[in-house]
Amino acid sequence: MQCLAQGDAKRGEYLANAAGCLGCHTGTQKDAVPYAGGRALKTPFGTFYGPNITPHREAGPGRWSEADFIRAMREGRRPDGANYYPVFPYPSFTRIADADLRDLWAYLRSLPQVNRASEPHELGFFFRWRLLLWPWKWLFFTSGAFQPDPKATAAVNRGAYLVQALGHCGECHTPRNFLGGAKQGRFLAGARLADRDRSPNLTPTRLKKWDDKDLAYFLSSGLTPEGDVAAETMGEVIRNSTGKLTPQDLTALIAYLRSLSPLPDEPK
Amino acid sequence: MKKIMLAAGLMLAVTGGAAMAQVKPDVLVKQRQAVMTLQSKYFGPIAGMASGKVSPYNADVVARNATYLENLTQMAWDGFHENTQGQQNTKALPLIWSQKAKFDDLAQRLQAETAKLGALARARDEAGVKAQWGAVGKVCGACHDGFRAK
Repeated sequence: MQCLAQGDAKRGEYLANAAGCLGCHTGTQKDAVPYAGGRALKTPFGTFYGPNITPHREAGPGRWSEADFIRAMREGRRPDGANYYPVFPYPSFTRIADADLRDLWAYLRSLPQVNRASEPHELGFFFRWRLLLWPWKWLFFTSGAFQPDPKATAAVNRGAYLVQALGHCGECHTPRNFLGGAKQGRFLAGARLADRDRSPNLTPTRLKKWDDKDLAYFLSSGLTPEGDVAAETMGEVIRNSTGKLTPQDLTALIAYLRSLSPLPDEPK
Repeated sequence: MKKIMLAAGLMLAVTGGAAMAQVKPDVLVKQRQAVMTLQSKYFGPIAGMASGKVSPYNADVVARNATYLENLTQMAWDGFHENTQGQQNTKALPLIWSQKAKFDDLAQRLQAETAKLGALARARDEAGVKAQWGAVGKVCGACHDGFRAK
């Protein structure tokens, strides 16, 4: 690989897939333009809309510098200094390495500009107050790139990076407290969602029932070997992200999940 | 004539009655799970071959499986009778009955998408199958979101 001062857009595309940017930053209608925003995400705090991230100067981050982008991802702050709501998963993205952030930015800069205005979020009165995010961040957010565990293998460290930083798997698979902060002691143990639905436990407690081959087939096709189909929330993640990982990265991701301490499921 | 009418009426009452007879909820659960299991059995190879993860592509197997699937996707729905709410040994979530219209709509869409897949598969239209199988999978998955426990 060439060593470039500027980021590499080709690598950035692979990283953007691994980070699943497409999901929230693309509308759900059939003719929605990739990365032009519009996806609604309902949360207990209100409905958020994924913004346009194509490099349009008015409708998107076309005027941003690379440093602005890195600050957004690493610190969760806008170029004007205001905090993002953590629906933008910067508590995970803060762990992305500097070189990868530069490649991601190079890729986003290479996208066609789309003049589509982002929708304002629809939040409860109380939550519209962005200053509240300072104490939230103080409580639940630690900024800083991923640090490999010197005791773990290279594959497990690569898998940890894919899961914790890019893949932001914990955003759905780790339970949250009533303030929406992740319960770190229950990392990836599965979370309760609305209406008695839940995201599965990704620690060996549950995954030990599947061998590596089954898991790799599931994460690349959305199917179990028996032909059972993943729920569409994960189905989309598989089409956009895990299904596009290289075989080496998929193997690393699985090796990392296998290395986790088994945690019991959330109570019913 | 009157006798024939009466006989026909009786027949209807008897057969109709039999069809209406209340099947036990735990049996309904088993039956609909059997349908789901068979749907998986016949969809898995189609998806594998259409996505290129299983090769070579066998148009005869795809046609057969898609036709089975077209029939199977009509069978599970009366198994989600209200009297099966609260049954053990099922991953069916209560939202099925509280959001019945959405559930029924997805059931209809599954049948429509599967019928399209069946027609393409029987016409040995490999490119068509490869474009359509994902639509079937998406409806399966859409229903597994919220309506089936993980």
